[in-house]
This record gives sequence, structure tokens and C-alpha cells, in this order.
Amino acid sequence: MPILAGKELRIVGFLCNWCSYGGADTAGVGRFSQPTDLRIIRVPCSGRIDPLFIVKTLLYGADGVLVSGCHPRDCHYGQGNFYARRRLEALKRFLPIIGVEPGRFEYTWVSASEGQRWQQVVQGFTEQVHALGPSPASAVFGACREIPDEKGGPRVAV
Amino acid sequence: MSPFETLKEKIREALPGLDCVIGWRQGFDPLHATPFFMRAPEDVEKLVWSPLCVHNLSTYLPSFRGKKVGIVLKGCDSRGVIELLQEKLVERENLVLFGLPCSGVADLTKLGRAAGDLDRVSAVAWDEAGFTLATPRGEVRVARRDALADKCLSCQFPNALEADHLPGDPLPPATGPDLGDEELAALEAMAPADLMARWAAEMSRCIRCYACRNACPMCVCRDHCIAQSRDPHWLSQEDSPREKLMFQLIHTMHLAGRCVECGECQRACPVDIPILALRRKMNRVVRELFDYQAGLDSQAVPPLFTFQVEEANIKERKW
Amino acid sequence: MVMSAAAYLPAPKLGEWLKELSVRHLVLAPQARGDAVVFAPYAEGGEIVLDRDATMPPKQAVFPATEELLRFRRVKDPEDPGRVDVELSASQPAPKTVVFGARPCGTRGFLAYDRVYRSPKTTDPYYAARRDATLFVTVACTAPGNSCFCHWVGSGPDDASGSDLLLTPVTGGFVVLAVSGRGDELLGSPLLEPAGDRTAEAEKVLAAVRAALPPAPDISGARDGLTAVFDDMGFWDEVSAKCVSCGACTYLCPTCYCFNITDEGDGLAGRRLRTWDNCMSFQFTLEASGHNPRPTKAHRLRNRVGHKFSYYPALHEGAVACCGCGRCVRGCPVSVDIREIVLAAIVRAARAREETAHD
Repeated sequence: MPILAGKELRIVGFLCNWCSYGGADTAGVGRFSQPTDLRIIRVPCSGRIDPLFIVKTLLYGADGVLVSGCHPRDCHYGQGNFYARRRLEALKRFLPIIGVEPGRFEYTWVSASEGQRWQQVVQGFTEQVHALGPSPASAVFGACREIPDEKGGPRVAV
Repeated sequence: MSPFETLKEKIREALPGLDCVIGWRQGFDPLHATPFFMRAPEDVEKLVWSPLCVHNLSTYLPSFRGKKVGIVLKGCDSRGVIELLQEKLVERENLVLFGLPCSGVADLTKLGRAAGDLDRVSAVAWDEAGFTLATPRGEVRVARRDALADKCLSCQFPNALEADHLPGDPLPPATGPDLGDEELAALEAMAPADLMARWAAEMSRCIRCYACRNACPMCVCRDHCIAQSRDPHWLSQEDSPREKLMFQLIHTMHLAGRCVECGECQRACPVDIPILALRRKMNRVVRELFDYQAGLDSQAVPPLFTFQVEEANIKERKW
Repeated sequence: MVMSAAAYLPAPKLGEWLKELSVRHLVLAPQARGDAVVFAPYAEGGEIVLDRDATMPPKQAVFPATEELLRFRRVKDPEDPGRVDVELSASQPAPKTVVFGARPCGTRGFLAYDRVYRSPKTTDPYYAARRDATLFVTVACTAPGNSCFCHWVGSGPDDASGSDLLLTPVTGGFVVLAVSGRGDELLGSPLLEPAGDRTAEAEKVLAAVRAALPPAPDISGARDGLTAVFDDMGFWDEVSAKCVSCGACTYLCPTCYCFNITDEGDGLAGRRLRTWDNCMSFQFTLEASGHNPRPTKAHRLRNRVGHKFSYYPALHEGAVACCGCGRCVRGCPVSVDIREIVLAAIVRAARAREETAHD
């Protein structure tokens, strides 16, 4: 049973289809144990990630956001991660001005073969977010909207 | 002839070949100048030039695309034109740019603090040291620092950077305090949760009028802003601080590397929310990462439109 | 004006009185938020701003920026998973509210709503509930500003229509007049003293303010004039040239009552919201086909001015849907002046009439 069971935070990962999603898969196939706070959203390329995805995620209830793409020079589309790097770095330096601690957002590169590395990234980032605790966004702006459970019953997501 | 009179003469000469020339005339009371579209030579008599010409008129240019128009520019306004040129939203050959050296414009919000009720100011005068307002309580003197827009106190571009006519002697850059930096430093000194709570409190009085967006010269999507799209549904109609701050962040992100920091967003805000700080912060980041300022060179490639394989100032964290 | 009773509230007791009112009501009072003044819930010690008109009108009391009409939830039938029912729950009841400290122009804005949302023909239950639950304690205006024009639209700095109590600033406090039966009930407070000859002082104060107003031009020709220039797009292009098409004028307006209804929610549950909408927005008349009958800002500004001074009066016995508070003039980022447009339309229509006569 994971150490953090019941104390999970909400971490959202945006992973590129070609490298990092494959890397996460490799980690799973290799049965590397990982914290379970992370929920993965697969995107075609890190260059597809509008920084506003991350802003919205953080403002609407996530405690941390992790972006991972192909290593520089390895982009499936050639240049997507180079553009992404500029946007993501600018966003990372900007976020503190709205009261989001710098540690709640990280971006990195993991290739499809780096299962072990993926495990380390998730482990490290999850620990970093746990050290910060829940994001102030829920306390400041209120809990996010009601999310119905599978049977349609309401469950307040905090 | 004063530089202003020379400029008026130039405008009169140019007008027959132009759809209009955009400038200012006196507004509804002594404190307000208002944008003015001169179409006939006799209109030029009503043109005014003063520290009350606060608006960045380059906002109007994209709506005249394809027509020949003239525009009167302060230094900061010219950066808006340059940015529009860079983004190919206006054509240089269709513009006649009338620049005047500017020694700073008033911030009516700041003047309001001194006057009490801004709507009851019956006369205004200014000199190099500040403003004098006639109010029901008597004359109120406002020092330059407490009267001028923050951007003007440390203005680096008092003369239009691109102009066809620039009468008068160019002014040197201002050497006053950078109040924008001071504001950012104060915000950055706050604990994150307190800072977020501060933004929520500030945004709670936002009325979602989108004056910030519509006054912005770089908000060129106009009627097709994603903030009002139902699909994709970036924002709900709910009047909550979260949605309203999210809009400010949409604006900021869409201005990254494009914002000329004219301050129109904050000036236009009818409830005086200090939203310029967000754009300022992004501009600082863009400057420190890419050594770039928007609106200085119409031929430059904007930083988020390009990349370096080895970035000079980005060192990704090694996990 | 029917004045059934008068009392005196010493200025130092204002806070205490508001606290007393807060026991049974939500009290909305003008308070500073940054450099703006908004109607916010009064809490003990809150500083009331009366020396300038509030930036925001008090309209949120009867017409909130967001009003939840209902909540919905889709529920699957456990016996027949293909069947989904929608469960609805109604919105919360309107809280008992006192709006304190609006000027007469701000309060009078509600009268424009009443004719639309609480008419013999149709009643909007959400509006009516809030309106019935809200009392207006208005403070007479002693400081009209450069953008004010209440006397152009048939009102004045001491207009009590729409109010329940009217306060007039006098030396050391306020003369309190009940101008409705509901206002009478508020006069029972032990904090209030008999007005005595302060009533005469109040009359003097108000007479002085009325006398100080610059003469109002005759705008009785606006209704026909605006209709006459309706198709004169050259005119509307000219007067709207500087408009940036934001919604500041509309959302700051005490009489603007247009709304939008949207369902907001994720997945299977959500809320139906009624929110402020504004006719300056491109989306306001955008049709599902993509066609927009008001494609430019000229069309939209024409609607705003025409509605207030022509179409609305035509539907409501000549009542103008403008209270003359001047917020649209003050709040406009480029100083579009509705007074100027109305006057220009009257002149333009008259000139067009003359030209037709000569033809």
C-alpha cells in the first residue's frame, strides 16, 4: 500500500505521446513502484501544451502540474519541445506572482526508454509537492465544482 | 511656431490624402481628453496635446486596415504601432505617423486620490513639478510622482520610435523611480497564499466588462476572444474571482513577448484593479530570458516565435 | 413626494444604525475597494463612503451579476442504465436586504427594471423576490459632478422615487424621511431622534443643490430624433468611432437589465446561471447561424442609446431608461458621452427634417 494512501494530493501530468508517455508506460511495464497522486493527460507533443492549460489546472484545484516531453533534439516533430521550453520557462518564472509556489510546476524531458528515470521524476516531484502541501487555490477561491460520481451522485471535489 | 503648431500644420497638409487622423480633443470635463478622428482640415483646430492625452490610440489602427490613416503618437504609443507592424496587422505604407515628444501623462486614478471626487474637479493646470486641481475644497496641488502614470516616471522612450513627422527637440529618457518595479517587489515579498488571496480580493470587484482587453492595442482578436467562446469553454459566465483572474492570466499569456506595457489595461479598468502588474511581471521574465522588449523593432522575431537549440538563459532542472 | 414622518440620525450613530439594520438584513453599503467604491456587505467598523458617488451602482441587490436559477443533475436509472433522468433543485431564496447610501439616481435605476420584470403582463419571479426583499435607504445628493445629468431625465438630487427612506445630510447628521410604508417601519429605531426644525435645514440644503445645477437642455425630442436617425449609419459610425466596444458603460449602468442564461457544469451536473450581459458585446446578438444583425460597434452603440432614450420610452409611457448618474461617462475608458450623442441625434434629426421639407 502506498505510504501516502488517503493523503494524496492532486497532481496533473501533461505528457507527450512519443517520449514521456512511453516512458511512463515503460515504468509501468517494469513494475517500478510510483506515488499515485499523478493523473496523466496525454498530448501529441509538449509543443501542443498551451501554458494556459497549466494555469487553469493550477487555479482550478490541482496541487501540482508536471509537464514532460522528449529530450531536446529528440522531438518527434523536430522542434515542438524547443518552442515548449521557452513558453514553459517563461510560465514557470511568472507563476509566483499569482501566489503559486515555484515548486508546484515543473517541466522535464523523459524518453520512452527511461522507465527508471520516469519513476525518479514522479517520485521527486510528488515529494516536492507534498512538501508544499495542498495548493492555496482551493482555500482562496473555494472548492472546485461538484463532480458527480459514476452513478451521478454528487461528490464535492476539494 | 511651437512643435504642436507645426504638427497641426503637417496634419492639415496630410488630411486630404487620408481617411482620418486620430488624435485627441477636449472631453466632457477639464480632466478628460478624448480620442478624436479628424476628417476635415477644420477639425484640426480642435486637436489637443497635453498630459491628459492618456489613451494609446494605436488600439484603433487594426480597424482601419486597408485604409490610409494618420495617428498622433506619444513615445509609448509608437511601440504599439511597431508591434502591430511586426505582426502585420497594419501596413506601414497606409500609415502617417505624427509623433510628439512626451514628458508624461496623468494617471487619473492617482489624481482622484488627491482630489477626493474626480468628478468635481472644475479646472486643472500643470507645470514641470506637478498638477493643480480646482476642487470644491479648494485648490489641490499634486506632485509629479503622485500625478503621472507610473510608466512615465521612468519612461525610456519619450519620443515616437517610428514617425513620419516628429517636430520639436527629442526629450531625454526619464530618470524617475520605477514604481512598477517597486509594486512587483512588494507583491513578491508576500507569502504565496496571501498573494493569491490578494488577487482574489482585487478581482472580486471586476465586472467582466473587458475594458482591459478592448483598450489593449495588442488584443487584436477583438470580437473573437477565447474568453467568450463556448467551445472551447475556457471561462464560464460565472462572476467569480477565479474566473476573472483566469481571464487576466489569459490576457497576460497572450501578451507574452508582445506587451508594450502602455498600461491601457489598467487605465481602462472602471473599477481600478491594479492588473498591469501581471503584464509587467511577464515582461520582466521575457526580458531576462530572451533579452527582448516588444514594440522596439518591427523587423524583430518575437521570442516565442523562435528558439535556440542551446538556450543561453534557460537551464532546465535536471531531475 | 409623500413624507409621512421625519427623524434625525446623528452622524456618529450611523455605524450603530447600520449594525442594527444588519441584524435582520444584509446591508449593502458603499465602501472603498482599492480606488473604487462598491456596494459591499456592511460589517461592523466598515467605513462608509458618501463623499463621492459609488463607482458601481447598487443594482446587484436586485440583479446580481450571477444568479443561480437552478441546479441540475443527470441520474441514471439503476434498473435501466440507458435511462437518464434530470434532477432539478431550485435556487436559494432572496435574502432580506437593505441598500444603504445610494444616491437617488442609483436607486431610481430599479424603476426601469420594475416596468420590465414586474409588470402586470409578466413577472420575473427571481427579480420580484429580490425586489420585494430589498429596502432602499437613499442619501440625497449634495455634490453633483461634471458627468451628472439626472435633471435632464426628469429627476433631481433629492428624487425619492424608488426609495423607502431618504436621508439628507445636515449639520452633524442626516434628516431621515420615510417615503414608503416599508420605510416607516425602519423609523422605529431608538437611535433616531425627532427631526424638529432640522427638516427646514434639509429643505434648504436640497434647494441649494437644485439651484446649483446647470440648466438642463430639452431632450424631449430624443425619442423621435433617435428613431429618425436609426438608419443614418454615417451618424452612428461617427459617434461610435472612439468606442472600444467594452461593456463598462452597461455594467456600470443602474438601469441596464439585459442578461444571458447559460448552463455551466462538468459532466453530469451543473448550474443554470443568469448573468449580466451587455449589448456592446459582439456576442450579444450573434445568432447560431453565424449571422450578426449588429455586426459593428456603431450598430451596438446605436442600440444602447436608442434603447434608453427611444425604444424603452415608446414601450413604457415615455419613461426614459436612464437615470442620469453619469457612470457610463465617467467609467468609459475613452469618455464616450451619452449626453453628447443624444443631443447630436436630436440636431441631426431636425436638420434631416428641414432638408426633407426643402426638397
